[in-house]
Amino acid sequence: MANSARTPAVGLFGAALAMAAGMAVAPARTHSGWDERAQPRGGVQQPAPKAQPADLQAKVFADFMERVKAYVAVHQKAEATLPPLPKEATPKQIDQSQRALGTLIQSARAGAQRGDIFTPEMTALVKRLLARVFAGSDGKQLRASIMDENVKPIAIKVNQRYPDEFPLTTMPPEVLQTLPKLPEGLEYRFVSEQLILLDPHAHIIADFIIDALPGK
Amino acid sequence: MWTRRAALASLLILNLAIACAMSGQSTPAGPAAVVAPQSKADAPVALPNKAGTLKFAVLGDFGTASKQQYQLAEQMDKLQQKFPYELVILVGDNLYGSERPQDFEQKFEIPYKPLLDRKVKFYASLGNHDDPNQSRYALFNMDAKRYYSFKGPKQSVKFLALESSYPEPEQIKWVEGELKGSNEDWKIPFFHHPLYSSGGRHGSDLRLRDTLEPLFVQHNVSVVFTGHDHFYERTKPQKGIVYFVAGSGGQLRSGDIDPKSPLTARGFDTDYAFMVCEIDGDQLYFNTISRSGQIVDSGIILRRQPPK
Repeated sequence: MANSARTPAVGLFGAALAMAAGMAVAPARTHSGWDERAQPRGGVQQPAPKAQPADLQAKVFADFMERVKAYVAVHQKAEATLPPLPKEATPKQIDQSQRALGTLIQSARAGAQRGDIFTPEMTALVKRLLARVFAGSDGKQLRASIMDENVKPIAIKVNQRYPDEFPLTTMPPEVLQTLPKLPEGLEYRFVSEQLILLDPHAHIIADFIIDALPGK
Repeated sequence: MWTRRAALASLLILNLAIACAMSGQSTPAGPAAVVAPQSKADAPVALPNKAGTLKFAVLGDFGTASKQQYQLAEQMDKLQQKFPYELVILVGDNLYGSERPQDFEQKFEIPYKPLLDRKVKFYASLGNHDDPNQSRYALFNMDAKRYYSFKGPKQSVKFLALESSYPEPEQIKWVEGELKGSNEDWKIPFFHHPLYSSGGRHGSDLRLRDTLEPLFVQHNVSVVFTGHDHFYERTKPQKGIVYFVAGSGGQLRSGDIDPKSPLTARGFDTDYAFMVCEIDGDQLYFNTISRSGQIVDSGIILRRQPPK
């Protein structure tokens, strides 16, 4: 019927994680360590970003996923203390649950700082990957689709509530195929030029990367 | 006038069907065709309005709590009393701005109360202004899922509600699986971002089109409903598929449709609007109704037939 459950990562990051974990991931289509789906189409090809050794990349990915898992654990622990939200809830139940969960997570991560999940190594890697996706003739169009209704620059902080008045950016398929697959409870969005890790259930910004969107 | 033209169109379809039956052929594969002329009717109901058909409405970009949203909701209420549609598909931006309990009331529950009281079911998809937690809101019937499908209560119809602002690979695989595995005659995707739109502010989402259109073409989709651009537009069939933008349920971007756009079969950007549709076998009848109750577009879409 339908699907909201998230499945394990596939693609470049899935392959890298699998390599790191000694697993076999058949569906990943890689070419020289890059997911073919992330290749820019048409236009002048930009010089390829300097490649990192595969094992180093795999380590960075694996470390990132560990940090993601740690965040999800905090989320789940907080959620377990709250009454379960029914599948068919009232607005009051949704709002109370979301705010209570947000408060618990903010408290549990009171000392959280930018870079706790997106480490400097991961930040650099994400920027390189996005630079590759946005290279070529489609880059401008990709950027335009993200910047659609994302025109107001705002200052954000780790662990803050996502601003209610700010619409969510569209995430082009190419970007989602390139970034590592996140588990249920976290997703990528852009706020202005910043790539954020958003906890949609708690409406909390878990971490972010400044100037992640290429082509300014 | 509309009734006479619709009757003529129906007669044309009937004649075609008889001709095909006599020659031992089914309706040939090919583009979905809008066979009825665009017309302005004097009365806001002229569809076949028959028993046993699937009747539904389409609404998008509505949750503003504005006077205009409420006025359009009144037209939806009036029409439902004459044309008893039993469900409404929502193409996203269901609540603009904050989403406190009182916002759900002012932006949804109060304006559509008469419909909700008459047990009309609303099925939502998420737009870029929507908090994903709306998927748990009982009156949006999303079953706590950000993308989902459901069968129409009548006729052979499956609706697919997609989350177009976050088309992660799992969702695309799910769409393909749903389309491939569906035995229904009509497979009707609805979501927020338009694959085809002549809007100056947003326009066609080319990234999403690259991903979804091949699936729609391959699996015989005939019609797609979207929003995001704050006007009404029906495209000329694109690779056999008619795309609707129904994004003026509570927001209006007057004059935003490119008048020179080659995509447009009919555009309306001078007032708020919603759509009603009726599926009867291989035909989908539609009317688009403005805030003043005028029919601003109407027609019949013939279902695409699978290639033999």
